[in-house]
Amino acid sequence: MNITLHINGKEQPVECRAGEMLTDVLRRSGYAEVKRGCDTGNCGACTVLVDGAPVLSCSYLAVRADGREITTIQGLAEEAKKFAEFLTAEGADQCGFCAPGFALTVLSMKEELSDPDEAEIRHYLAGNLCRCSGYEGQIRAIKKYLEAKHAQ
Amino acid sequence: MEILEYARPRSTDEAFRLIREQHGTAIGGAAWLRTNTKTLALGVDLAGLGLEYVREAGDHIEIGAMTTYRELETSRPLKARFGALFEATVGHVVGIQLRNIITVGGTVAGRYGFSDLNTTLCALGARAVFHPGRAVDLADFIEKGAEGPFLLEKILLPASVRAAYQQMRISRNDFPILNTTSAWTGSGWRIAVGARPAAARLCREAMALLGNDPHPSDEKIVAAARAAARELQFGSDIRASAEYRRDILPVLIRRALTEVRG
Amino acid sequence: MRNDHSPTPPSADTALEATGKFNVVAHDVPKVDGEGLVLGRPAYADDLAPSNALYVKLVRSPHAFARILSIDPVKALALPGVACVLTWKDCPRIPITRAGQGNPEPSPHDRFILDEYVRYVGDEVAVVAAESEAIAEKAAALVKVEYQVLKPVLDFEEALDNPVVIHPEPGIHEMFPIGFEPARNIAAAYRMEIGDVEKELAASPVRVETTIHTQAQQHVALEPHTAFSYIDLHGRLVIVTSTQNPWHTRRLLGLAFQMPLHRIRIVKPRIGGGFGGKQHIHVEPYVAMVTMKTGRPARLALTRREVFEATFTRHEMRVTVRLGANPDGMLRAIDMQVLSNTGAYGEHALTTFMVAGSKTLPLYNKAVAVRFGGHVVYTNKVSAGAFRGYGAIQGLTGLEAAMDELAHRLGVDPVELRRKNMLHEGETSEVFRIMGEGTEGIAMNIESCKLEECIARGKELIGWDPGHLVREVAPGKLRAKGMAIAMQGSGIPLIDMGSARIEFQDGGFFKLHVGATDLGTGSDTILAQIAAEELGVDMEDIVVHSSDTDHTPFDVGAYASSTTYVSGSAVLKAARSLKAKLIGAVADKFGVAPGDVIYKDKTFRTADGTQSLSLDDFSYDTLYHDGAKMKTIEVTESFTGDKSPPPYLAAFVEIELDVETGKVDVVHYVAVADVGTPINPNLAKIQIEGGLLQGIGLALYEDVRYSDTGHMLSHTMMTYPIPSREDVGRITVELVDSYEPSGPFGAKSAGEIGIDTPPSAIANAIRNAVGIRLTEYPFTPERVLAALKAAKAQ
Repeated sequence: MNITLHINGKEQPVECRAGEMLTDVLRRSGYAEVKRGCDTGNCGACTVLVDGAPVLSCSYLAVRADGREITTIQGLAEEAKKFAEFLTAEGADQCGFCAPGFALTVLSMKEELSDPDEAEIRHYLAGNLCRCSGYEGQIRAIKKYLEAKHAQ
Repeated sequence: MEILEYARPRSTDEAFRLIREQHGTAIGGAAWLRTNTKTLALGVDLAGLGLEYVREAGDHIEIGAMTTYRELETSRPLKARFGALFEATVGHVVGIQLRNIITVGGTVAGRYGFSDLNTTLCALGARAVFHPGRAVDLADFIEKGAEGPFLLEKILLPASVRAAYQQMRISRNDFPILNTTSAWTGSGWRIAVGARPAAARLCREAMALLGNDPHPSDEKIVAAARAAARELQFGSDIRASAEYRRDILPVLIRRALTEVRG
Repeated sequence: MRNDHSPTPPSADTALEATGKFNVVAHDVPKVDGEGLVLGRPAYADDLAPSNALYVKLVRSPHAFARILSIDPVKALALPGVACVLTWKDCPRIPITRAGQGNPEPSPHDRFILDEYVRYVGDEVAVVAAESEAIAEKAAALVKVEYQVLKPVLDFEEALDNPVVIHPEPGIHEMFPIGFEPARNIAAAYRMEIGDVEKELAASPVRVETTIHTQAQQHVALEPHTAFSYIDLHGRLVIVTSTQNPWHTRRLLGLAFQMPLHRIRIVKPRIGGGFGGKQHIHVEPYVAMVTMKTGRPARLALTRREVFEATFTRHEMRVTVRLGANPDGMLRAIDMQVLSNTGAYGEHALTTFMVAGSKTLPLYNKAVAVRFGGHVVYTNKVSAGAFRGYGAIQGLTGLEAAMDELAHRLGVDPVELRRKNMLHEGETSEVFRIMGEGTEGIAMNIESCKLEECIARGKELIGWDPGHLVREVAPGKLRAKGMAIAMQGSGIPLIDMGSARIEFQDGGFFKLHVGATDLGTGSDTILAQIAAEELGVDMEDIVVHSSDTDHTPFDVGAYASSTTYVSGSAVLKAARSLKAKLIGAVADKFGVAPGDVIYKDKTFRTADGTQSLSLDDFSYDTLYHDGAKMKTIEVTESFTGDKSPPPYLAAFVEIELDVETGKVDVVHYVAVADVGTPINPNLAKIQIEGGLLQGIGLALYEDVRYSDTGHMLSHTMMTYPIPSREDVGRITVELVDSYEPSGPFGAKSAGEIGIDTPPSAIANAIRNAVGIRLTEYPFTPERVLAALKAAKAQ
């Protein structure tokens, strides 16, 4: 099938099979920031925003994305760089494989929740697994990032 | 998953026609298709039919079949009527990125054993509305399924029910070992149990035992909880044995009932 | 008397216990690759594969044990877009090991890249390559394989001397004596004894015995094993792969394919976690076969299911510990007997098993008699391999259970019992001398051990009160505390070797080339910190390039907690030599003796203050301006330790136990560690935090489960739950001040020590909560409730 994806504000016609998932189509189209981690909807590494909402691209039919706005972390690069400063300041970026999907969910949380406490942060981000960090450093980074955002 | 032909109908009528006449398979949230090796001759996409809504309708709340889990847990009408019930019920389902995809309709139609949501819907006394307007008892549907092709359009929830959800998982985002929801309907008690690991069932003996007393004693609650463990069938799977499920069910039911009773 | 292997001589500044003296080291420098990774720039093998690469898929065994009678590729080859189907007949019959270890490997060469036999469900049968992933998948399903199904051995308790022999094939062998007896299903065996254990036990007034069974565990690095290969302009085979050990990979592939090593180049790009899971060859041989056969680039990224079913797990072990002690708690004897399950092949069989003793028994060096022994057996399950903790976590879980039981028997504070018996600074253990990794050990005096400080701080942080280790916080909900201590090592002495090359560049910066392999731990960053510190420059003045067998100097790889200590020491030596060379060259230019040149703030000055030259200016002088004196100033240095100084950790946990359901939750986990000088405190701390959570996963959630036909049931992340960020209440990690004289700027290691304690500390907390010693991991709600019911029934 031929569909048109709007990725990071850019129109991109792609060819896909009807049963294909968005992850595979995006990676094939050069969006390396969308990672293939678990294949089963558990790890969050493939997270993208569809019409602004974080979804697992491995569990999202590519054809269904036809005509919708898809945002990868590259589409929010400026804000992602700001968050990256806080994440790397804690050393919590580690292997980085989960980082694009994780950072995208953090940016989405910032838009959706006004002043989340630690439990709300952990809950919102529960779908982003990390095997390196033990999560503590990520939580420290998120808290400091949100504080800095509030201070602005 | 291979989908040989993909259809995006413009109306529920058209969708139902494709399902009934061309043996189409309704596509709900469509999560977890990636590792599915099945081939669908005709996939009928239900997105874009306006089935994404949670709305008040008199003494009921209507939930469109394509409403996502995330919409359920953030829905104001549901929060106003049921407090944190829906957050508790679906909040452990992996993460919000998956809950932004998977749908109420897909869950109900799939009658999945591991479902958290179906347990709560059964306990609330929900009805499932099939196109073009046939309403059936949802617990009944989960138990027996439907005859012939169907298109699930929406779920109806009685709006003035108090309920509490309890579950057991090995880790917080794993599939449940067991879940249960207890509800006071205003005239009686309803208790549903899911992830046995088979699909949700009502505990009719336990419900009868509690009768129409909105404030059952602790003893009565314990007796009902035990009755539920006796009347249901349990199975074993990778997460736990039938015996363990039977052992902890009275504990979970007692906790849920006590929470609703206050 | 020092020999050629002598470690870095202590610097002139050895008294640098106060880390405040450092400019770059002991600072929380952000990882050099962090921003790029967060932004998702192409970095991992699968991101970098050429777009014209063939997609490789593997046909895998559906049987736990079978002989392949025939493979019919006709249907698969008929599919348009299929490039080749390769089988064991396309493979030289050379036994190898897939374990990335020193040469000769302490693992038996008991495996062929492809074989006529398959020994677990998921074992490789055939290699299919096609123009797209979908075609390759379809083709793999069309390869028709006829099997003669054999009876498998699935229970490791029944493997020894089982009539079913898993490796009857001729030609397989050990590289040196490791107790390899395939006819008895033994991959490796070992025993040692110090003193007379039976005599001491018999004479001990107090004795305890515990047997603990720890399960297999999956690494679950978020990036699946991935590689691509191509033939370069010179006709050489290049493999870009998610590996922890590029040189071992090159050497093993050379052996497997009978290729001279100069024909192979291995490149490690960024990799998405390892934890030991990528310390092997798993994907590289198959892309290489396709590229060599077709001349085309080839790519293979395993699915998560393949990672689970067909890479490696942690070794399942049964550990029996017997302790004999005096009534005052002084240990007299420790006996540790181990049965380890290596699965279908013997990768890391001997070494993980020996580490169960060698990196735990020295903790309690007061015992006069110590014995260790047992077997590593084959079964028809997926192979076990290297995994963070590497046997130490299994051995420790047995030892720390026994220590707590002894404390209960004596009615003393388990903390005090440990303090009385544990290793202290300035002491040694005979075990260090006797037990190495597959070889004899190396005697070692402990020059840094701050276990006392770790314990004292840990007690404070958790609020340890031995009289009140359990309380009921709600009906049926108990909060209880438990503890454990641990040690690891820092590289394998006289076996692990790392090198670093530093070259001075115009612009006054330095290229740092290291063979060391950053798995995401941040080693590129900390190695640059070490170089920057010694060279007196800033982080941005060091440009790191790592892990490329063509372009960086040799390093054994990232494992055995070696990178900071071994590769870091190489970097320090190189930086020190280079600094001397720079000063020498400038002295020559100034016409003074090197001793008269002072180098500070990136500027060279003569002692009398008459001449000065900036590092920047000198870089142009030496490369462009100085005529006949022009030269590249560079140096390569290597390091191998003659000891392996252990890091230490004291752990205290508070759990909540639901006595009605058996659910155990970690409320707070406190770990205080002595890692020597943390080169980058943030990164060291995160290593420990991550290790702790992985250990908590092993203790409570994770289990590799099989059907009774040997099919893995827990083969996706839907059936193998790892901890999410909502599972554990709080993790507190602190590092105590410590300085290891033999390490770079006082550093030891932090990579593995974090994972060791959780299974022990949590078990001990449950024991304190309900008086029951759980012995089967993981402690699922069902297991805990069953134990409570059994205790009640008695």
